[in-house]
Amino acid sequence: MIQVRELTKRYGAKTVVDRLSFTAKPGQVTGFLGPNGAGKSTTMRMIVGLDAPTSGDVLVNGKPYASSKAPLREIGVLLEAKAMHPGRTAVSHLLTLARTHGIPRSRVGEVLDLVGLSTVAHKRVGAFSLGMGQRLGIAAALLGDPAVVMLDEPVNGLDPEGVLWVRNLLTGLAAEGRTVMLSSHLMSEVSLIADHLVIIGRGRLLADTTVADFVTAEGVRVVTPAPDALRTTIAGPGITVTSTGVEELLVAGTSARKIGLAAAARGIPLFELTPQNASLEEAFMDLTRDAVEYEASR
Amino acid sequence: MKITPGGVVAAEWTKFSSLRSTWITTGISALLLIAFGMIASASLSGDNLTSIDLALSGSALAALSVGVLGALLGASEYTTGMIRATLTAVPRRLPVLWSKSLVAGAAAFVTMTIGAFVAFAVGSAVLNDKVAGLGLGDDGVLRALVGAGLYLGLVAVLGVALGMLVRSSAGAIAILAGALLIVPGLAALLPDSISEAITPYLPSNAGSAVMALTPADGTLAPWAGLVVFAGYVIVTLAAAAYRLKRNDA
Repeated sequence: MIQVRELTKRYGAKTVVDRLSFTAKPGQVTGFLGPNGAGKSTTMRMIVGLDAPTSGDVLVNGKPYASSKAPLREIGVLLEAKAMHPGRTAVSHLLTLARTHGIPRSRVGEVLDLVGLSTVAHKRVGAFSLGMGQRLGIAAALLGDPAVVMLDEPVNGLDPEGVLWVRNLLTGLAAEGRTVMLSSHLMSEVSLIADHLVIIGRGRLLADTTVADFVTAEGVRVVTPAPDALRTTIAGPGITVTSTGVEELLVAGTSARKIGLAAAARGIPLFELTPQNASLEEAFMDLTRDAVEYEASR
Repeated sequence: MKITPGGVVAAEWTKFSSLRSTWITTGISALLLIAFGMIASASLSGDNLTSIDLALSGSALAALSVGVLGALLGASEYTTGMIRATLTAVPRRLPVLWSKSLVAGAAAFVTMTIGAFVAFAVGSAVLNDKVAGLGLGDDGVLRALVGAGLYLGLVAVLGVALGMLVRSSAGAIAILAGALLIVPGLAALLPDSISEAITPYLPSNAGSAVMALTPADGTLAPWAGLVVFAGYVIVTLAAAAYRLKRNDA
């Protein structure tokens, strides 16, 4: 469990994280979203004590991180930039971390296996691709078998197979009852695995919600050669029907299933019957539009 | 499974020993000490030069080299980003500095003490006949040789402290070279009265006093000199500890 309370970070006059509060719970994947420069990485650095908050505090599993007797057992992290010496081999890099906690060498082999780097275990990490570096970072995060796994942009640089692997790994970790938190600036990436969404912009909390609640249904698009007949068939309280083309209707207030059944009962042919969700990406863009830090000129 | 002081030291030893560059720098330091000692022993002579002075004439360069070793160990945490992994594993932070200093200092002490003894042995074997030979049993010889190891071990710790303090390899090495090599030269430009008063207390002069068979005019007594040098190291370590604890990583 990660509890962030009224967390604030200021660099001089610039407030990077502004009174941010949220909780990432065990057994869930929490997606931490925001445009570039929203303060995601700074927040994650404050969670593990790399940066000191200007005010507010963070508890990891109920206590401040630095007070833990076995920090690697509390939380495993992958931070956005590579955190490793290029001259060390993958095994040596993990060993330097494992030794602090008396984690046995066999565990280093296990996590390297788990992330698929066994064959390059004795290669220098300086020669690793971005994707391999990410995998090694994930191996380091899992080293202490932590209760919380927190990953900053974990799929950066991974190939499609790697992206799928991370997705399965994280949902698996959450299913084991661990707290999983991952950051991203891409809604599409997070919506597939996250249960819980924390969205920030310019350091402020914009939404603390679930994926299901965040996507609001807009209605059902129906294409039929007999739009007028269908209108009268499905009319009812709370149901609005708008014409969006010659043979097209947008129906709100009922489900695709009910429209289909009603049409079949009256023998009205349907060419198309599609629930229209506001795309997550659009909803995300709408929410963060005013909070984009770096915007290209149009 | 929990974090222990011994574990942090073991981790720092793993960091030290798993890089090719540390072995190369350590080897070069020992080689400089031995090679210069041998060449000087074979060819140099002078009024006050003893065979110990000649055998340890590579100590100034070896000091620079082990100092660079320490500085790289300290600063590379920051230049590579490794510090983020290090401090998430050890969030209380200070044990990292103490352990890194201990590992670098002990490694440099062991290799440089061996280097000093080898330099003395090789130097004695090739010693030119204008200089009187000395044995390990002669007054001050053992102290000078072990003292060389201690001084060079402390220089490695100074390097680590500077590296962690300024967080940049180039910056740390520049400060180290300045303190050890350039400051004594600058002090010589001062008026004599001031120069004579401060020269014995400059880092490299104070530290080197332990390697002299008998203290020359205008130098500190052997152990007093080493204590003064240790004082510089402690002050630098304290500054590094302060920055490590207070600043964002």
